Amino acid sequence: MNTQAIQILFLKDLFLSRWPMFGYLVGGLLSVMVTCLPGESAGFIGFILMITVTIAAGIHLIGALLLGESIDMTRTFIMSLPISLLDYSLAKISVVLVAFLIPWFGMLASLTIITFVAPEAKPGILPFLVLLFLFMLGGFCLQLFTAVVTESVGWTIVVLVLGNVTLNLFLKMLYEHPVISKLNKSEVLSWPPVVLQIIAIEAIVILAALGLTFMFQIRRKDLV
Amino acid sequence: MNSKLDRPQQNASAASLRGVTKSYKHFRLDKIDLEIEPGTVNGLIGPNGAGKSTIMRIMMGLVTPKSGTVSVLGKSISSREASAKQDIGFFSDDMRLYKSESIAFHMQFVRSLFPSWDEGYAQQLLDRFGLIAQQKVKGFSHGQRVKALLLLILARRPKLLILDEPTNGLDPVAKQEVLAELMQIVNDETRTILYSSHNTQDVEQISDTITFIDRGRVIASNNRDEFLDRWRRFKLQAPQNWQAPAIDGLRPESTFGNLRVMTLDRYETGVEDQLQSSGATLESSEAMTLEEIFIAAVSRGREEKQQ
Repeated sequence: MNTQAIQILFLKDLFLSRWPMFGYLVGGLLSVMVTCLPGESAGFIGFILMITVTIAAGIHLIGALLLGESIDMTRTFIMSLPISLLDYSLAKISVVLVAFLIPWFGMLASLTIITFVAPEAKPGILPFLVLLFLFMLGGFCLQLFTAVVTESVGWTIVVLVLGNVTLNLFLKMLYEHPVISKLNKSEVLSWPPVVLQIIAIEAIVILAALGLTFMFQIRRKDLV
Repeated sequence: MNSKLDRPQQNASAASLRGVTKSYKHFRLDKIDLEIEPGTVNGLIGPNGAGKSTIMRIMMGLVTPKSGTVSVLGKSISSREASAKQDIGFFSDDMRLYKSESIAFHMQFVRSLFPSWDEGYAQQLLDRFGLIAQQKVKGFSHGQRVKALLLLILARRPKLLILDEPTNGLDPVAKQEVLAELMQIVNDETRTILYSSHNTQDVEQISDTITFIDRGRVIASNNRDEFLDRWRRFKLQAPQNWQAPAIDGLRPESTFGNLRVMTLDRYETGVEDQLQSSGATLESSEAMTLEEIFIAAVSRGREEKQQ
C-alpha cells in the first residue's frame, strides 16, 4: 500500500469535487436556516429541502467521482500511473464518502446546534434527526456499493429510488412510533433503547455496505 | 528511417509475455508470446479488434490475463502491483484527462507521483506541441488531447513507453509532430517503445521489430528489415494448367487470365529461377511494402486457422 499515492489521489478528487461539495454544503445550511423561519410550513419546507439536498449530493458525488471516471474514461489515465488497485480503491471510496459527509455533517451539526440554542426548538427531536440522517447515510452507502459493483448509472438510480421509497416508510414509522413521536415534542434530550437499537441497525447497514463496497472493488480483475 | 538494429542488446528483456490468454464474450487472446528487447522500438500492427489494446492493458496490469505470465522491466505485473508502472509511460487512444481542469493541473498531479518528472522537458514539450498550460482540457481538439497526454507521459522520462494507437485520428501535421518527438526518444538507447497501430506507415517509420496480430493471435514477429527482405511478390505469365512449384511460403494472391500474382514468405535468391523453370514466364519480382506484407500475413494466418 502506497500511502502517499492514496493521499495524492484523495486530494485530487477532493479538489475536483470542491464546487459540488461546497454547493451542497451551502444548500444544506440554507435549508436548515429555512427550518428556523417562523411558521409551520417553513419548518416543513426546510425539512423537505434538507432531504432533497442530501439525496442530490449523494447521487451527484457518486456520479461525478465514481461513475464519471468510467464514463469519461479518465480511469485509464489514473490507472496508468504507479497506483495499485488497493491504493485506488481506498482513495476513491474514502473521498466519495468524505465529499458526501461534509454537507451531511454540516447539516446535522447545524441542526444539533439549533435544537439547543433556538428559542422554539425542542432538544428532544435530536434522536429523530440522528436516525433520519443515519438512514440517509445508509442509503448513500448502498448506492455507493451498487455503483462500484455494477458501474451502472441505471442500477444506481434504481437503488436511489428504492431508498427514497424506503425513506418515506421509515419517516412514517418514526412519526407513528409512540416513543419516538413523544420524544420529538420533548424539551429534554434522551436516547431510549428503541432509538439506540435503530441506530445500531443503521450503523451495521452502513459498515456492511462500505465493507462490501471495498471488498468488491479490490477483487476486480479488469480495471478498464 | 531510424534503425537501432546494430545496438548491443542486454540479456534481460524489457517486457515478456508467455502463453498469455484472455477471454471475453466475443474475443479471445490466444497464447500470446512476446519478447521486447531493451532499447528497441517495437511495432504492434493489427486490424481493429485484433487484440493490440488488450495485450498492452495486460502489460500495464489494467487487465488480468486468464493464464500466462507477464513481466515488465523485470517485475511481474498485476493490478495489485504498482511499482513497475513508475518506469512505464502508457498512452491509450481512449484515455482522457479531466475536462474541467487545465494541463497545468494535470502536470502538477503527475509530477507529485513521479520523482523522475523533468520540468524543463515538460516546458519544452509545451512549447513544441503548441499547448497552453492554463487551457482547460474541455476546449482541446483531438490532437491537443493526444499531445497533452504524451507530454504527461514523456516528461516523467519512462524507461518503457507503451503507446496504443497514439497517432490515430491525428491530422498530418499533428501526426508528424508526435512522430518527431518519438524519434527523439528513439535516439535514447536506454528507452524501449512498444507502439501499436493499424497504420503500417507510422510503425514502419520508427520500429526496429514488428509483430503482426490478428484475431487474438501473433501471426508473425520479426526484425523490420528482415520482414521487408523475406517477402516478395511475383507476377508470372503461366498457362491455365500451370502448377506452381513446391516452394515453402509461396501462395497465390490473384489470377487475371494467364497473369498470376504470387506472394512469397521466406524469400531466398534463386526462387526466380525455380519459377521460370516451372514453365511460367516471370514478369516481375518486387519487394513488398509493410502494408502489403501485413495484409498477406493476415490473410495467410486466417487461412491456416480455418484449416
